[in-house]
Amino acid sequence: MAAAEGDFYSAAMEWHFGPETGSPFWLSKADSLGFDPRRDVRTHADLRRFPNVVGELRNVPVEALIPRGYGDRPDVIGAFDSGGTTGAPKRVLLMSDWMRHSLTWKSLRMDDLGFPFDANWLTIAPSGPHIFGRLMAEVTRMRGGICFTIDLDPRWVRKSLALGRTEEASRYADHVVDQAHSILEQQDIGVLVVTPPLLVRMAESDRLVDLVNEKVSVIMWGGAHLDADTRAVLQGEVFPKVRLCGQYGSTMILGGSMERAGSGKPAGQCVFDSFSPYTTFSVVDPDSLKEVAEGERGQVVMHHVSKSLLLPNNLERDLATRVAAPAGALGVSVADVTPVAVFEEAQVIEGVY
Amino acid sequence: MAVIPRLDTLGPSNTFRSHRVDEVTGVDGTALAELSLAPGLYVKRSIAKMRKARPMPLSVRIDRIAAAGARFLRTVDGVSLDEHERQVSQASGVALSVVREASQAIVRSAAAVGESVRRARPLGTGDDWHEVSSTGAVWTRRGDVLAVQAPGNHPATHAAWLEALALGYRVAVRPSRREPFTPYRLVQALRMSGFGAEQVTFLPTDHTVAREFVDTADLALVYGGSDAVARYRDRGDVLVQGPGRSKVLIADGDWAEHVDTVVSSVAGFGGTACVNASAVLVDGEAAAFAKELARRLAAVAVVPPASEAAVLPAFPLERARELETYLRSELDGGELLSGGELLEPLPGGGAVLRPAVVLLDRPDPSRLGIELPFPCVWVAPWSPADGITPLRHSLTVTAITGDEELLASLIEETTIGNLHIGDRPTHEMRPGLPHDGHLAEFLMRSKTVIRGDFAHH
Repeated sequence: MAAAEGDFYSAAMEWHFGPETGSPFWLSKADSLGFDPRRDVRTHADLRRFPNVVGELRNVPVEALIPRGYGDRPDVIGAFDSGGTTGAPKRVLLMSDWMRHSLTWKSLRMDDLGFPFDANWLTIAPSGPHIFGRLMAEVTRMRGGICFTIDLDPRWVRKSLALGRTEEASRYADHVVDQAHSILEQQDIGVLVVTPPLLVRMAESDRLVDLVNEKVSVIMWGGAHLDADTRAVLQGEVFPKVRLCGQYGSTMILGGSMERAGSGKPAGQCVFDSFSPYTTFSVVDPDSLKEVAEGERGQVVMHHVSKSLLLPNNLERDLATRVAAPAGALGVSVADVTPVAVFEEAQVIEGVY
Repeated sequence: MAVIPRLDTLGPSNTFRSHRVDEVTGVDGTALAELSLAPGLYVKRSIAKMRKARPMPLSVRIDRIAAAGARFLRTVDGVSLDEHERQVSQASGVALSVVREASQAIVRSAAAVGESVRRARPLGTGDDWHEVSSTGAVWTRRGDVLAVQAPGNHPATHAAWLEALALGYRVAVRPSRREPFTPYRLVQALRMSGFGAEQVTFLPTDHTVAREFVDTADLALVYGGSDAVARYRDRGDVLVQGPGRSKVLIADGDWAEHVDTVVSSVAGFGGTACVNASAVLVDGEAAAFAKELARRLAAVAVVPPASEAAVLPAFPLERARELETYLRSELDGGELLSGGELLEPLPGGGAVLRPAVVLLDRPDPSRLGIELPFPCVWVAPWSPADGITPLRHSLTVTAITGDEELLASLIEETTIGNLHIGDRPTHEMRPGLPHDGHLAEFLMRSKTVIRGDFAHH
């Protein structure tokens, strides 16, 4: 395992810091890092040596992020924004090879979790500039179903809430839920993808609850936090026969982690495993930024190391409990993810997303 | 180590044990209980379910509330009355003797609830539309579910929402984290006496969900400070019970005769209620009166709340310090008279604040309006030339005067809730008499019924 870890990071650093293959963004930084990634980065722990550069993704031209090794005609699916929960959005590129690769992994996790094959999906998620809706539409295709989509504009909702216009945010949520109602009423839907605030809103309508219980076999939530108590009410009382599964991710790691299936998770907890070794988590003390011990809570750090992108050490806006990663996986897994109240001097405002 | 009790929600269909909890701690810092916190979705579903439930007939409700009062005094859910009262005292800091009186007050209110709601009903309306034979009016509910955001200052405040239950409301109580034991016990006693789970619920929540709780119910009764008053002032569906700012006016020329009334008004119930006097206006010799009042209040025992002799409330030490600091910052030239150090730390933890009398040189309305949760009273000289302005914005005014014209203007003053004339302490209350108006004035309305003959086929 240690040998595999070393081989993985050697190859990744060769690629991202080789003059022929690395991106202009990283190559221009190589001299100022104070270490030589190609020589010094051999383990997951070594990633912590990198500076957190996500702030620079607010204004770097996205072309500079493409590794030169992709050649003259890189297959770019598109540019996507971070959520923008804490200030101006950060932008990254989604390459087609990474999308295929990561969604194949995700689809296999869905098999573990008992997702149906050939079922139609109703995805209530943002399309551009966010990555969530796009990935969900693709994964439906891979799993043989037809994808119904309802777009969301979480940026507008956050803006409304920041201005104290809760009534407006609420009307917008109703507008989205009405669209879901119509599709659920008229079509055969087996999988529902939705954000927790909208799922809670849907749970307030008896008719919608009946429709979901009658037709849907899996609800996959993501894009915002779901506290353990609300999850218990949703699963235990509102949708007792529907399987509730979470995904937790970030545009900054170009995808999500999936809830751990079946056994192996502490009682009542929702544990997320990342797509190791490409996407990994650390959990750190918010003040010292040192890693916390297993079972303790701290702030989540995400790392992305793939052919398409190198983005280590991204301090996310969430708190979580550190849980042991599955055997052979790098980094840690996270449980009971909740928002931190204050981040980068800006108040975190969550809304429908 | 003793097992700490867990207070889960008492919802309309189930109890809910939450992942996230609030800890209930005594004023001495000991952990007393863990309180489950209902998520917003649970609260909304509970209220929706309660709204669909039908109330029992009026006479059945009234009998069962009375029975629940009696039940309250027996062992409930394995907790004896004595054990319960000690928990309440330890959590709220209210003296044990005061808690015991409050238990009896709850029982009396429960027994009298039928009479209380009957007295609140306008003369021209009836309870039952069947009794209207051609034209008439019936007393009907403005909504179905009442949310109560309950206080933790004094257990007897919970008697108020029994009237809503008697009027056919389904009542959801969000307890205060400081003292959730009384509503927990009362809801259990009501259920043991025949109220269905969907009729009365116990729904602890955090502060964020509390807003949803108030917004989701049809009407809400919210206890709180000036912040709650400001938040809900413009809402027709929310009745806020804010600071009481009760006052005593002594204007019959002989203050010495009335010190007992003032001592009782200030320190009765331990001085923690909104009906305790926080200001006294004296026509003549205010300074001499203040000194005598301070001397009398200094005789009140400074002992832990569980002591049999205790009257004064206790606080966590930090909170007691904040109260003292605040009081001193507001003196502004006023003379603080107290029989010793204001703050007395208790041996087992927590602290008691000695009764405080502050002598002012004039009836300054802003300071006369400072109400603190322990016996603390502002004394100022008053003359007929000052008029009733310094007495405005009071839940209760005790007016010791024979001046009919003055009394008439106090009755007509819209910002005064209740008027006591003569030596009747500000805290005097009894079932059937409105406390801050009748609760029914908020909960009910008169509806016309006109009945014609059916066309028979």
